[in-house]
Amino acid sequence: MTLTREQAPPVVRKPVGERRRRHDGLATTLMVAPATVLYVVMLIVPVGLALYLSLTDWDGFSADPAFVGAANYVTLLDDPDLRRAALVTLLVAAAGTAGLNLLGLGFALLVNGASRANTFFRIVLFYPHVLSALVVGFLWSAILGTSGAVNNLVTTWGGAVIPFLSDPAWATVTMIAVLVWAGFGVNVVLYLAGLQAVPHSLVEAARIDGATRWQVFRNVTLPALGPSVTVNIVLSLVTLLKTYDLVVSLTAGGPAGQTQTVAYLILWNSFHDARLGFGSAQSVLLMLVTAALAFVVTKLRRRGELAVHQ
Amino acid sequence: MRSPRPSLALPAIGCLLVLTGCGGGGFAGDSQAQQSEGGPVSVRMLVNISPNLTQTYWDDLVKPFEQANPGIDVKIEAPTGKGVADTLPQQLAAGNAPDVVETLMADETLAKQMLDLTDQPWAKDTPLAEQAKLGGRIYSVGVGVQAQSLVFYNRAAFDKAGVKEPPQTFDDFESAMGKLKDAGYLPLQTGGDFLTGLQLLQLSNPSRAQTHPTWQQDVKAGTIKAGESLQPYLERYQGWIDKGYVDKNALGMKYADAETAFLTGKSAMYVMGSWFTASEAKADKDFEVGVFPAPVDKGQTYPGPQGATLAAPYMVLKSTPNKDAALKLVQWLVTDPEAVKSQLAQDGNFRTGVEREFTPLEKQVQEILDNAPSGVPQGEGYGDATLPKGFNSAWNTEVQGLYVGKSPKEVAEGVDRWLAGRS
Repeated sequence: MTLTREQAPPVVRKPVGERRRRHDGLATTLMVAPATVLYVVMLIVPVGLALYLSLTDWDGFSADPAFVGAANYVTLLDDPDLRRAALVTLLVAAAGTAGLNLLGLGFALLVNGASRANTFFRIVLFYPHVLSALVVGFLWSAILGTSGAVNNLVTTWGGAVIPFLSDPAWATVTMIAVLVWAGFGVNVVLYLAGLQAVPHSLVEAARIDGATRWQVFRNVTLPALGPSVTVNIVLSLVTLLKTYDLVVSLTAGGPAGQTQTVAYLILWNSFHDARLGFGSAQSVLLMLVTAALAFVVTKLRRRGELAVHQ
Repeated sequence: MRSPRPSLALPAIGCLLVLTGCGGGGFAGDSQAQQSEGGPVSVRMLVNISPNLTQTYWDDLVKPFEQANPGIDVKIEAPTGKGVADTLPQQLAAGNAPDVVETLMADETLAKQMLDLTDQPWAKDTPLAEQAKLGGRIYSVGVGVQAQSLVFYNRAAFDKAGVKEPPQTFDDFESAMGKLKDAGYLPLQTGGDFLTGLQLLQLSNPSRAQTHPTWQQDVKAGTIKAGESLQPYLERYQGWIDKGYVDKNALGMKYADAETAFLTGKSAMYVMGSWFTASEAKADKDFEVGVFPAPVDKGQTYPGPQGATLAAPYMVLKSTPNKDAALKLVQWLVTDPEAVKSQLAQDGNFRTGVEREFTPLEKQVQEILDNAPSGVPQGEGYGDATLPKGFNSAWNTEVQGLYVGKSPKEVAEGVDRWLAGRS
């Protein structure tokens, strides 16, 4: 039996708009897929594995870690080492973020503008960031150690040894200072980029109205830099919360474990003490705290920016 | 393990976990232990790199073995982490374990991943093979013995201070420190890093071994507390800090700085293991260095048992696909006379029956070893006498507390709290 034209089902032609949408959807999926795969493999999978391992007693060697439930989390809540490291980390993050941003913004204002001298100083300011944190740590430990260059000089002149790395308070301050020295070049660059976006007309208008340099900075430049300040604070905070390599090379967590950060403790517990399950639980906790702090800071900053604009 | 978006923290752990998920697995049960057929076999050996044991030294050491075994290519690998102890678990997790590992001793955790060497006829004749047994099995074989409880001293400083004989008891030791201080020397060189705790363990071994001959086993069994039993030594150390016999800013000195300070004549005594003789031999100095066994308490036998650890211990990983070649290499490293002599000389270690050219200081160390009534494990220990992994570091951190205001009792309690958390 053959179908006549009249008997055949009517061909339903999709509207052009729908076909284009489907085509666009496919193209979007294909373009997003590589990034999604990378994101899943490099971020979601490790986080998932960390979560899983945090519920086990894996020592890093055995093939069959035992499931221990929330035991690692219970232990870490009562861990005096973690409490001490958390305090040190928060101190480093808070003081370091302040230092990085104050110096970053200050020097960005100083070297803002096109001139050969400014280009030279920008390179000089950024240079410490190029060095590996391990190198920076060993370098400063050779300078500031008990038998280091500075103390040699001081004792040669008859002075007493300055306990840069041998006294807990001094060592913490030294570590923060070195972190700021090694990192503020990045903040300078970010603030310089922000300063380029400040409308020159606004600055000009304020000056014509008789505003002083401080008034121009306080009322025009700084509010316009709002988004840059937010980015700088969040980046500094997140970076400092995971301080590890400089601790290894500068203080090795000492004296008496007083400069151990949470990240240092995680690596130490995981690999040195062969407690990867416990270290994973600490990692998960650090991840949550970091995410929460970054979220809160971003929210607060946005609220502040909005208030300025209104 | 980890590292989510906002923190992006701990790339090392993140990589490890990614690799854990994607790697082929380095565990014994997962790997295909197959000897390559035909063609050269590559044996990867993870080694400790130090000022004495450089990458070049290791490469040169294994050259004669490669020449004698043209089918075997030995690849020396330096640690990628802080040391061998940190690097091995990362490699295992990444499915990239070496065939042979040097420096580590088998404990209950590591032994599961290592080849049992008990049936190798050459293994039982290696140094400390019996003492390092774990559950009656041999997993680690070493080149020699490191004497731990030695006090190196500046003879010129002793002469100037009027210290006629090396002290034998802790009371004599303290009296000598007083004289040395009066003579203008820093009596005892200490330091930060891992040195603080290590030195006190080394110094206390001969005395502690007489009070508690099976200290590690007793601590493990819970019949004594580690911190409490070592508190008398912590109290002495506190006294030395208070009296200025050690530098109160010593924690700001790294290991190498402390060694240099002693070798440049700034301090009069330096507690260290026998490997220090290698550094002393290379140093350019204008005084003679002597050595005596660590002192003991009044009424105890002198010299006491000497702290002894295995020098250059080797283990073969169970997962190695080149088992025969790896075993052959390890056998050669611990039994070939030239290889043994070279390793002993390079890192200042000793082995009974092995004749080599000694420096005057090495001769004295060999005599101390010969005269010691026995060798005892130190700190974390080895074999069946092993305390939980990380004990030495925890001890070190706590001992450093003496410099920053903690009392000996608080330090002892801190050590015991750490152990209780690991039991």
